[in-house]
Amino acid sequence: MQDKTSRPSPLRGAQSKQETAGEPNTGGGLLAAHLLTRRQFTAGSIAVASGLSALGSACTGCDTPARSADTSVRLHVNGTRAEVDIDLRSSLLDVLREQLQLTGAKKGCDHGQCGACTVHLDGRRVASCLTPAVQADGREITTIEGLSPEGGPLHPMQQAFIDQDALQCGYCTPGQIMAAVACVREGNAGSAEQIREYMSGNLCRCGAYAGILAAIQQAAPEIGGT
Amino acid sequence: MQSFTYIRPSTPAEAIAAMAGGGPGTRFLAGGTTLYDLMKLGVEGPLRVIDITRLDALARFDTSGPHELVFGALARMSDVAADRRLKEDYPALSEAMWKAASQQLRNMARVGGNLLQRTRCAYFRGGAPFACNKREPGSGCAARDGMDRGNALLGASDACAAVYPGDWAVALVAFDAVVDTLSPRGERSIPLAELHREPGSTPEVETTLAPDELIVRIRVPRSGAGRGSTYHKIRDRESYAFALTSAAVAVRLSAGVVAEARVALGGVATRPWRSPEAENVLLGQPLTEDVAQSAGQAAFAAASPGVHNAFKVELGAQTITDALMIARQRAEQP
Amino acid sequence: MSHPDIPRVDAREKVRGATQYTADHALPGLAHGMLAVATIGRGRILSLDTDAARRVPGVRMVLTHLDTVGLQSAGFLLGGGYGFQSLQPLLGAAIAYRGQPIALVVADTLEAAREAAALVRATYEQDAISVTLDAPGAEILAQADSPLPKPAFADRVAGDADGALSAAATRVDATFQGPPQHQNPMELLATVAEWSRGELTIRESTQNAEALRHGLAKVFGLAPDRIRVLSPTAGGGFGQRNSLQAHTALVALAARELGRPVKLVVPRAQIFNNASFRPASRHTVRLGADASGRMVAAVHEIDHQTSRHDLFPLSYADLTARLYGIANFRGRERLVRNDIQTPGFARAPFEHIAACAFETAVDELAYALGRDPVAFRVANDAATDPLTGRPFSSRHVVACLERGAERFGWERRTQAPGSMRLADGTLVGWGVALGAYKAATAPAIAMLRVTDAGEIFVSVGGHEMGQGIRTAIASTVAVDLGVPAEAVNILVGNTGSVPQHLTAGSWGAATALPAVHKAALNMLRELERLAGNGPANRTFQQILRDAGRSHVDVEARHHAPGQPDAIFDRVAQGLPAAAGPAYPDFVSMSFCAQFVEVRIEPRTRRIRVPRVVSVVDCGRVVSPRTARSQVLGGVVWGIGAALREVSEVDPRYGGFVNADLAEYVIPVNADIGTIEAEFIDEPDPLINSMGVKGLGEVVMVGVAPAIVNAIHHATGRRLRHLPVRVEDVL
Repeated sequence: MQDKTSRPSPLRGAQSKQETAGEPNTGGGLLAAHLLTRRQFTAGSIAVASGLSALGSACTGCDTPARSADTSVRLHVNGTRAEVDIDLRSSLLDVLREQLQLTGAKKGCDHGQCGACTVHLDGRRVASCLTPAVQADGREITTIEGLSPEGGPLHPMQQAFIDQDALQCGYCTPGQIMAAVACVREGNAGSAEQIREYMSGNLCRCGAYAGILAAIQQAAPEIGGT
Repeated sequence: MQSFTYIRPSTPAEAIAAMAGGGPGTRFLAGGTTLYDLMKLGVEGPLRVIDITRLDALARFDTSGPHELVFGALARMSDVAADRRLKEDYPALSEAMWKAASQQLRNMARVGGNLLQRTRCAYFRGGAPFACNKREPGSGCAARDGMDRGNALLGASDACAAVYPGDWAVALVAFDAVVDTLSPRGERSIPLAELHREPGSTPEVETTLAPDELIVRIRVPRSGAGRGSTYHKIRDRESYAFALTSAAVAVRLSAGVVAEARVALGGVATRPWRSPEAENVLLGQPLTEDVAQSAGQAAFAAASPGVHNAFKVELGAQTITDALMIARQRAEQP
Repeated sequence: MSHPDIPRVDAREKVRGATQYTADHALPGLAHGMLAVATIGRGRILSLDTDAARRVPGVRMVLTHLDTVGLQSAGFLLGGGYGFQSLQPLLGAAIAYRGQPIALVVADTLEAAREAAALVRATYEQDAISVTLDAPGAEILAQADSPLPKPAFADRVAGDADGALSAAATRVDATFQGPPQHQNPMELLATVAEWSRGELTIRESTQNAEALRHGLAKVFGLAPDRIRVLSPTAGGGFGQRNSLQAHTALVALAARELGRPVKLVVPRAQIFNNASFRPASRHTVRLGADASGRMVAAVHEIDHQTSRHDLFPLSYADLTARLYGIANFRGRERLVRNDIQTPGFARAPFEHIAACAFETAVDELAYALGRDPVAFRVANDAATDPLTGRPFSSRHVVACLERGAERFGWERRTQAPGSMRLADGTLVGWGVALGAYKAATAPAIAMLRVTDAGEIFVSVGGHEMGQGIRTAIASTVAVDLGVPAEAVNILVGNTGSVPQHLTAGSWGAATALPAVHKAALNMLRELERLAGNGPANRTFQQILRDAGRSHVDVEARHHAPGQPDAIFDRVAQGLPAAAGPAYPDFVSMSFCAQFVEVRIEPRTRRIRVPRVVSVVDCGRVVSPRTARSQVLGGVVWGIGAALREVSEVDPRYGGFVNADLAEYVIPVNADIGTIEAEFIDEPDPLINSMGVKGLGEVVMVGVAPAIVNAIHHATGRRLRHLPVRVEDVL
């Protein structure tokens, strides 16, 4: 080992960079740009016939379309409004991820069994994998990308997850955090037992449950329940 | 998933009209936690889907009425679970809600649709190569002689032993709830006890609802046993799992003996299962642990277990016993 | 060298949802794949009807076994190849297990691909199947007589176990059943494949980027340098991602044929039936103690499942022979061939269940002798390795036990089963078990760059899958160079830089960190040389600028003690090259002691685990925060494996029946009580320059037997299978 006195002094201004894998992160920052380059907003409502909204039909006769877009929906995602052409079969999760490039919500089961896809719909946490995207038409959607401004301060729950090391691989983390924020707002973070119960819809295979509990206990006073 | 046509009415009347115009293969879609899930699995393949989640008139519920509790069919499970009056006056109903699924799913699922959730039998959900009379009538039952740990001990037939997986309906059947429906033929009321069918030789027909009939509300007559109630649910993990066994029980005590008793079982039967056998054991008796044990055993006297689910006879009886001890404590509180 | 408690370096990105996992990559023109899979347990495809699938609008391609001419299997990871199994689906009409892919559909949208895949129809000729250890038709093969290499896969023998056993004063004989279980990392198996000018880029979360590269090179007959694999962060691995998956080459083939990037996200149900899993195993343990209470003999006989097409080796007795100082030991291991996909590694793949079988038997022996289970274990500790006679490089088993007992409050335990029940009738049980795990080492190359702009880059062989390797690397560089950890930019899981040896077997830290440490020391020397006689107290940047250099690169290599330098040739070929626990001069293992409290409800008998104390000897702790999380996670895995998880098999159909996350119940938050983690934190003096052994798997070992022993303490019942569920204690 070296003599300490001869060591160069620490690097000042050492900078952190993203992994140099060759592509930038497609986080929330691209959402706005993406949405604005899509179709213009339409002011009118959907076609109405005899009091019923017939939102299109199956795409059986299409001649190899690039996208079997059945209908358009208006999605209000993280404060941005956009009209999006969707396949009626698509889940909200798949539309967020594949069409809006909001990939923070994750697919872990695709059947409402793991919670990795948790987003807020009109302020409530839901499993976006079991929410047909068409049902989100006109609704307010918040994803992990919308929880705190890019480059700005983290949401207290995000900071608490870091402080308590409430994650390992990170794959379930966006869903955990969205569920945790809702858990506090619902008033279901009153005790350790209650938090554990109301966070049980979010599986964490790495087993970070103790950290998740501690993070919610840390952040809850800053967020406040309803 | 096969393609479908999507229709989104804004009033119940429009929904009924849409269904009448839709014909076979048309389904109502509410929270989606059962139907959309099964569509993804290819187990359900509706041609037309009528999204009823915007029928705001059906989303309200009222637990303060003097004669009955009224739940609009589209009230969210999470809202009902959080209702303060329900927690105090009918803890069994509240617990049956919050012990179901996860908060995410309870925010999506509605109390009417919840009644119609379909079995978790792996051979039903798994598709090919499994034989399943419920999924494909006449194909047989792979669960028989298979992995039947989750299958029914009560109400099964040769054709099907798939468990009714819900919680809410079990609590409702204990309280003699009634379901109001709307169809092109008008409104009618069905006692919850008559809503679900045993499989018999037609396990694909799970309820007494007509295909074009829409549940619009659930009514629960007030009961003196409401406060002395619980929904006790035993699972393979502490939360976010279906019941191995569950019991909705409610008691009213008078002069030291049981004056009113309501016992229903989940996780062990092909439909929400009321147990008059257990209730009869309790009536007129002091609610001791021994009496509770006898009631639990009486509930399973007619059980016919398969290969891997025989333990549920004992577990189910103990679940009832536990539930009765909890209910007694609540009933005794001033 | 003390290591500070720094936050996980990639946590900020993760809590913002900004970390990119495989399926998060959006590429122009991306097409979506979906597999169609066999519905029979064994046989062959007679005909395939893909017309309906091809007619679905948006479908671009349906790949079947008729479209794969010229491709070959990448071989089995443990047979000189690269795959989780040697059977590459779609290379022929034979079906070896239910769930084997028969077609890959590619379409413009996920919805179209999914619809079309469901429309692929096959007719089969069907053979009888055998999918469990005891089923008729299962072939049994003694590992000692198998073609598997020796002595790695020879029987473990020391002294005369059978003779000593028959002479023993007290004996225990128990057979324990281990169920098949699935790793179920939260991130679904997925691949994004893209070709450009004849070169293939694979984005796939993996523990073994190099095996993907070389495996695909073999499949396609390509030079490996035309393939790049990127796996910066995996959403969990747990052994399931340690080799080329069944689908990866098919996705790459589709992308090449279509001339478009293709993404496949494998549905959870298909992962259950078409990726590795922890095989079913059966253990017979016979223990003998002399009149003084010293264990003198142990026999451990194991059968476990493998596929018809591969020999997945067993390595259970290698652990149990070393848990104690038992002079006479005989291990016998046999493979049972079933009609299943090849099973594989799952966290503590052999050690978890081997320890469960062995440590429940040790507990039984302690009871037979009237000894306290902790004291009995302390008294039977090993002085040297029973198998080789070599010393342990470090062994703090007694410290783990004593520290754990103190922290747990073990002295308040009463020995008699059922003696600690609560006033309401709740049964309380306190159990203990030992865990151990090989301290293995793989070869690694580290490259370190410092720039005149103040940037630090380190590239090393390793994969981040949540265990915290990035944080440990950053911490190592930070301490060595005196820089903040967040200043260190880390490249791992990327075959475009240094070779990426398989990260598994808890060797990640002991592999990467010594190489990184050596590189950091080389960097300091190089900077000193550049600094020459210039002014003192300059920053690195100033030294570089003054020397007219934009950056400085250094490289360092590290391999296991006793390995030749030629071992790096294996690494360069993407082949496993790890060594340990037996090194030429010593044996090196990590150890832990697990203390568990269970509570069992008086009537419905639900089993709960309110409290666990885990004391771990893993050598030096380089990253305290992520290390603690590893312990907590390992305990959660132990709880799941002990009380929850089983992959259900229906012998009529093959495959797994409960193939989703609702019916395969892993622990949820409400299942987990208090877990206390403590480290001995004594650097190992021999294993490597950092003094680090391994951590990620030893922390799971011992949890399940401690729970089973605690259940015995609560109920008096000796249970001999996992998972222990409510029906076992009613």
